[in-house]
Amino acid sequence: MAYFQRSHFMPWLLLAPQLIIVSVFFFWPAWQAVEQAFYIEDAFGLARHFAGLSNFMAVLSDPAYYSVIWTTVVFSLSVALGAMSIALFLAVLADRVIKGGSTYKTFLIWPYAVAPAVAGVVWLFLFDPSLGLVTALLERLGIEWNHNLNGGQALLLVILASVWKQMSYNFVFFLAGLQAIPKSLLESAAIDGASPMRRFWTITFPLLSPTSFFLLVMNSIYAFFETFGTIDTVTSGGPGSATTTLVYKIYQDGFVGQNLGTSAAQSVLLMVLVGGLTFIQFRFVERRVQY
Amino acid sequence: MATLQLTRLKKRYPNGFVALHGVDLSVAEGELIVIVGPSGCGKSTLLRTLAGLESISDGELTINDRRVNELEPAERDIAMVFQNYALYPHMSVAGNMGYALKNRGIAKDEVRRRVAATAELLGLGELLERRPRQLSGGQRQRVAMGRAIVREPQVFLFDEPLSNLDAKLRVQMRLEIRRLQKRLGVTAVYVTHDQVEAMTLADRLVVMNGGHVEQCGEPMTLYAQPATRFVASFLGSPAMNFLPLTAHQGGVVLPNGIQLALPFTLPEGRAATLGIRPEHLCEAASTTEGAILEVTVEMLEPLGADMLAYTRLPGLDEWLVVRLDGAHAAHEGQRLSLTFSPAHCHVFDAEGRRVAMAEETDAKVRAVQ
Repeated sequence: MAYFQRSHFMPWLLLAPQLIIVSVFFFWPAWQAVEQAFYIEDAFGLARHFAGLSNFMAVLSDPAYYSVIWTTVVFSLSVALGAMSIALFLAVLADRVIKGGSTYKTFLIWPYAVAPAVAGVVWLFLFDPSLGLVTALLERLGIEWNHNLNGGQALLLVILASVWKQMSYNFVFFLAGLQAIPKSLLESAAIDGASPMRRFWTITFPLLSPTSFFLLVMNSIYAFFETFGTIDTVTSGGPGSATTTLVYKIYQDGFVGQNLGTSAAQSVLLMVLVGGLTFIQFRFVERRVQY
Repeated sequence: MATLQLTRLKKRYPNGFVALHGVDLSVAEGELIVIVGPSGCGKSTLLRTLAGLESISDGELTINDRRVNELEPAERDIAMVFQNYALYPHMSVAGNMGYALKNRGIAKDEVRRRVAATAELLGLGELLERRPRQLSGGQRQRVAMGRAIVREPQVFLFDEPLSNLDAKLRVQMRLEIRRLQKRLGVTAVYVTHDQVEAMTLADRLVVMNGGHVEQCGEPMTLYAQPATRFVASFLGSPAMNFLPLTAHQGGVVLPNGIQLALPFTLPEGRAATLGIRPEHLCEAASTTEGAILEVTVEMLEPLGADMLAYTRLPGLDEWLVVRLDGAHAAHEGQRLSLTFSPAHCHVFDAEGRRVAMAEETDAKVRAVQ
């Protein structure tokens, strides 16, 4: 102990791997993005000049940007709430299974092991306008499905694929949360005359709130950032910009459109937005979580 | 206030394990029945079948002569106090106590009035707005009791409610439970593995072992006349001393050859067990007649009021624990002459069942004459 307390070198050495990784893969690129947001650069990266806030002005004065924000809000809320509620429903059912429970659980966890792009391709095949299995079924029901033309259907499809992908993650946490609730609490509630439904809403659900809050934060971040691969393989942001979220627009403007300045400005705005959102969640939602 | 009737109640789990092999028991109005036994004897399972948390495989359970086998826990009008209290951590004390009343659709004002009255009874008035995690163990225990009382149920069920408390608090709460139960006059079934709790609380005591009821009766009856060796060994601390014996010429003989004249009628040569409680062994005066055991003290445990001497008979492996006076000047290695009254002896046959004393019948005959 005495040795460690005397040495100023040792703590830094132990922290170094983590610090190096965070610096190289987060702080440096983040700083680059912030810096880039204040410059206008030519497409080949040969010359740039300081542009002040004009990149931000360009982004904020573009009506298309607001429609992308709206798409992102609809998409993220649907993905987060959809993935969480379906996962909770499945976890409650899986928690009651006695025989072969681990088999069900393994199957339900599998989608998480599938890469986002692969998940996207699977859903793309299922819903392919001319070949898809689901499309054929929908046609029999009199529903015409073509997400290449119908923006609403395209948004629904990327939401479905993203929800399916994230559900497993939520399922694992909800299941663990449910199993941590002492059985005697529910038994006591049953003796106290609460119906199964009422037991769920007055005992189980409030006791899951720490898990739910954690998942709300994680799912928001997932919906904002990690759905990129799914969107890219399924719709590439189209048709039009019907499935373009903030992250996808940054990619399109920056790497496809080669407009690095406004793209960087957008990513700074996105960082501020997500930071603010997380702050709100911690400040207001977490308060209601503690018991 | 209710009566409870269990008729050949059986519990078989889907995996084939039989936890209860047909339990018969009737509980009178306002009676406090304590079910006691070692872990795994089926006592908690029995309580849970009464509550409706476990289904009944066979037999019948009635509350106030109404068959309740198929009823949900909520419909049986019972309240249960759990070992870990099972307080709802996200609700205040008042919320916990009022939960059952709210579920039954009782008006808010009425709920508040009844919760306040019960809190007053238990000295929880100041704590109604607290959360369970802000309470001490004893206070949580009280809230769990309050939650049961406020509903005014037909039957109280207690599942080892004191085992999470420290020793001092346990004694205090034990008295309080007894006082409350008598005051409210409610029928109660109390499960514990602690024989002191069992002896002190029970109107009637049920000793269970391996899914069977070994014996049922008033605590002192079970203590003085245990029906089986198991009951004899389970009640009493330190436990009863047991010595193997063989019937010989109208008396008994211990494995080391010591012969004792005991008034038990056993067929010649039959093996059995002799049981004597530590407090029934005393030092023999030089004039004492009858059975005398010469023992060597091997260990001493001074408890204050008493001194426990762990002694051995020459040639025998079994300990013979003797309860001596606390001020006794015994020392390790000392030799003691012990004697005991035949009336305090218990003899159990090879199956562990009590063998009737010859004099019990003689005494009756004499009294009749």
